[in-house]
Amino acid sequence: MAVLPDSDRLRIYRGLMRYWSSLREGVSGILKTDLKAAVDAADQWVEDNSVSYNNALPATFRTNATASQKSILLVAVVLMRFNLDMLKRIFGEVD
Amino acid sequence: MATRFVLTPNSAEFPASAFPQLTLINRRPTLAFDASTQETCYWSFLAPQGLTGTKTAVISYIMASATSGTVEFEVAVEAITDADATDLDAADSFATVNASGAITVPGTAGYIDQVSVTLTNDDGISAGDYVRLSVSRDADDVTNDTATGDLYLLNVEFRDGA
Repeated sequence: MAVLPDSDRLRIYRGLMRYWSSLREGVSGILKTDLKAAVDAADQWVEDNSVSYNNALPATFRTNATASQKSILLVAVVLMRFNLDMLKRIFGEVD
Repeated sequence: MATRFVLTPNSAEFPASAFPQLTLINRRPTLAFDASTQETCYWSFLAPQGLTGTKTAVISYIMASATSGTVEFEVAVEAITDADATDLDAADSFATVNASGAITVPGTAGYIDQVSVTLTNDDGISAGDYVRLSVSRDADDVTNDTATGDLYLLNVEFRDGA
């Protein structure tokens, strides 16, 4: 899979600003260009490391799960580490 | 210098699309201007008798989250005089916008900043005119509007030179 088109990266960039504005929270000391560059870098990192992530998964799961299922697994682990409230909004409950 | 009007979020008028959201921040009415889409709102009033001199719009705002960077406002005036050939039910006739230039946001989100925009292009406004004031955040200006997140407009003071 290629990196996201810039239109989709901009959707993330706009969405992050609206989400953080709604929380009255942001990343201190950055400009819009810094945020867009971070979105670009994160997408590039996913692109560069997707094979590595896939290979890290146990073979049975790797061969049977879809790309969408593997992606939500990664998102869930990252959110459990750093943003439990967001994970609860996706899963309904995390018990 | 005299205050002629204080224009509040609750009295704002909105175009059909690309307008700031009327919302409450800590129970204070505000207009939330997006950081990436240029949004606009209006206020209508009748130009008061005795209006004179340089007109100025003083915009009070806070940032939702940004602590660095700049914002830019664009303020335009539409002044319609009795018997002017302007079809109000079909057209707008705003004069050229007056831009604030890049305004550095407060270093703490939620701290107020007040920006004075001189209305050099005032559409020849005079007493008795039917007036609309247009206010935008120039969010798609990558040079002058660099601050992230929403801008909450608190009010606009309309001054003249009296």
